[in-house]
Amino acid sequence: MAEQYKDKKEEILKETVKMTGYEDAGFDWKSEKRVGATKFLTGLGAVAHALKMADIDVASSYPIRPYTGAMMMLSQMAARGELDVEFVHGEGEHGQLGIAHGASAAGARAFTGSSGVGVMYAMEVYSPISGGRCPVQMLIGNRTLDPPGDFGSEHTDALSTRDQCWIMGWAHTPQEAFDNTLMYYRIGEDPRVYLPQMNCQDGYFITHIPMKVVVPTQEKVDKFLPPLSFPDALDPLNPLGHGPQLFPGQGHVLEATRVNAMMGAFPVIDEVVQSFNSIFETNYSPFVDLYRCEDAEYVLFISGGHAYTAKFAINHMREKGMKIGLVRPRFIRPWATDVLADILSKFKAIGVVETNNAFGAARQAGILTLEVATTLYQIPNKPVLTAFMGGLGGEVIRLDEFYYMGDVLAKAAKEGKTERTAYWIGFHNI
Amino acid sequence: MAKTTEITVWATGVVQDKEGRDVCLVLTEAAFSEGFFTQAFDNYVDLPDRINVQVRKYARISDAEIENKFEYENHRPNIIGVAEATIMKGINVCKGLQDGGYLIINSTKAPEDLLKYVPEKERKRLKAIACVDALGIAPEQLIDYSGAEGAEDVSAIGLGLGAAMAGAIAAVSGLVKKESVLGAAANRTAAKRGYDEVKIKVLK
Repeated sequence: MAEQYKDKKEEILKETVKMTGYEDAGFDWKSEKRVGATKFLTGLGAVAHALKMADIDVASSYPIRPYTGAMMMLSQMAARGELDVEFVHGEGEHGQLGIAHGASAAGARAFTGSSGVGVMYAMEVYSPISGGRCPVQMLIGNRTLDPPGDFGSEHTDALSTRDQCWIMGWAHTPQEAFDNTLMYYRIGEDPRVYLPQMNCQDGYFITHIPMKVVVPTQEKVDKFLPPLSFPDALDPLNPLGHGPQLFPGQGHVLEATRVNAMMGAFPVIDEVVQSFNSIFETNYSPFVDLYRCEDAEYVLFISGGHAYTAKFAINHMREKGMKIGLVRPRFIRPWATDVLADILSKFKAIGVVETNNAFGAARQAGILTLEVATTLYQIPNKPVLTAFMGGLGGEVIRLDEFYYMGDVLAKAAKEGKTERTAYWIGFHNI
Repeated sequence: MAKTTEITVWATGVVQDKEGRDVCLVLTEAAFSEGFFTQAFDNYVDLPDRINVQVRKYARISDAEIENKFEYENHRPNIIGVAEATIMKGINVCKGLQDGGYLIINSTKAPEDLLKYVPEKERKRLKAIACVDALGIAPEQLIDYSGAEGAEDVSAIGLGLGAAMAGAIAAVSGLVKKESVLGAAANRTAAKRGYDEVKIKVLK
C-alpha cells in the first residue's frame, strides 16, 4: 500500500462500514436525493451523456457489439453540434487505441472503447498508454471471447488486461456507469495519478437494458470535473519526446513510477468519491459497496451487473432468515487489499461469483478468486472460500441460482469447509 | 407477489425496428406515469439491421421492482403484438403465451380470419384476439436508428404505426388507461384511433 493511503485506511474503512446495509447509488433511486432530469437510459446511453457533459475532445471508434451504441450516440451528438469533439474512426482496435493515445499525449481528453475480441486486438497498446501516463478513458462493454463468441457478457476480455496499469472497475447500474465515467476521468487526470481508465459494464445487462438515470446539471459536472491539465503535452511549437526506447538499466525506474502512480490512486479515489458524493448528493463508498452485510455470516462477492439481481435474491434469502450479504468491489485496479481484508475477515464463508474463466489457474475458478484468496492470505482466521462459475457465455444468473449459492455458503459457514473450490452453476457434477 | 405483465411485439427488421420498439416504449411510459415499474428493451440476439427479418421488442410492466430485468427474452408473455401480420404465417408468435393472454395484430382483416394462424395449444390460452389497421391509421413507419443498439432514441416516440398499436393494446388489455397512452405517444391522434378502432374478438 502507498504510504499516503496507510494514514487514511481507518477513515476509509469507517466510511465503508458506515455504508453497510444502505441500498447503494443507482439501485434504489427513490431513496436518493439526486437532483436532475430523470431519464430511462442504458449503460451506453448513460456513458454517452456523461462524456458529453465531460466535454471530451477526441473520440476514436471502431464498431463491435455491444459497446457500439455509445459511439453511435457520440457521433450523433457531434453531428448535431451538441458536442465539439474530434471523432476519428480507427482502422481496427489497435489503431483505435493508438489514436486515443496520441490525442491524450497531445493534452486532449480522449475517449475510446471496445468489447470482447476487440479489447484483445488492442492488447499491445495498453501498456504504452499507461506507461506514457496518458489519462485515456476506455469504455468496455463486456463480451465473450471466441469461443463461445456470442454477444453475451463475460468479464474475461477486460480482466485479461488487468495488469497493464489501467484503473479498472465495473458499474452495476446505468446510473453508476454515468457516475463512474466522471469519477474515472477525475481520478485518472489527477497529477498524482495520470493513468488511463477502463470503465467496464456488462454487455447487454448494463449496456442494453434501460434503467432510470438522473442526469445532473452541467454546472455540477463542471464543478466536479475541471478541464484536463496535462504536463509535457506534445506540441509542434515546443517539441519533446514521449515513450523513448530505453536501455535495460533504465527500465526499472519507469516501472517503479508506474507502480507509484497506481498505488497513489488510493487516496485520490477516496477524495474523488467523497467530492462526488458531496456535489451530486450520492452515497458511494470509494472502494467497496456492502449490501446487507451488517450481521452477515457469509457473503457473495460480485463485481459488475449480476450484483443487481443478487440484491433481490439476498432480500428474499434474508426473509427466510439466512445471514447473507453482498460485497461488491467498485475497483478491480487498484485492488483495495487492506480494505477488503478487513471487511472479508468478518465473515465465515465467501463465495466469489465469477463471470470469467481462468483456465488452469490456482483453484481452477476465475480471476477474482485469485485476488480474493491472496487478500485473505494476510488474515489469521481465514474464512472458507469458494467460487461460483456463473453467467459464462453471458447467461443470465437467475434468482434460484443465487438461492443455490446461498445454500452452499450457509453449509460452508456451518461446517467450516467446502466440498469444491469452484461450483459450476447449472452443472451438478463439476 | 409482484404482478408483472410481459409484452412481446413482433416487427420487421429495419422497416419497423423503431415502430416496434415504440409500441413498447409508449406502453411503458404510460405505465410509468401511472406509477408502475417498467422496462422496455430490444431482443439482444435479433439483429435489427436485416431488412424485413422479424425482430422482437419487449416490455415488462410490474407493480413492484422488476427482479428479472436481465433475462434476455419474455419467455412467458401475457400480451403479444404483431406489427406485421405475415410474420404469423411462418412463426408461432404466441409461443409461451400465458393463459388468459391477448394477441393484437396490425391488419385490416377481421380477428376471426387470423385465428387460424395461432396453433391449437396457444389458441386455448387466448382470452381475446384483436386486429387494428395501424398502418391505415398512421401510414408513417419512421426509420430511425438512433434508438438501436442500446442508444438513446432522439426522435419522437410513437409518431406512426407504433402509437396506433400501443393504443390498441391498451384498449384490449386494459393494462394502462387511455389518457396515459395518449399522453405518452407523440402522435396522440393515432394512439386514440388505435384505442377506439381496434376490433376485438373475445374468446373466453
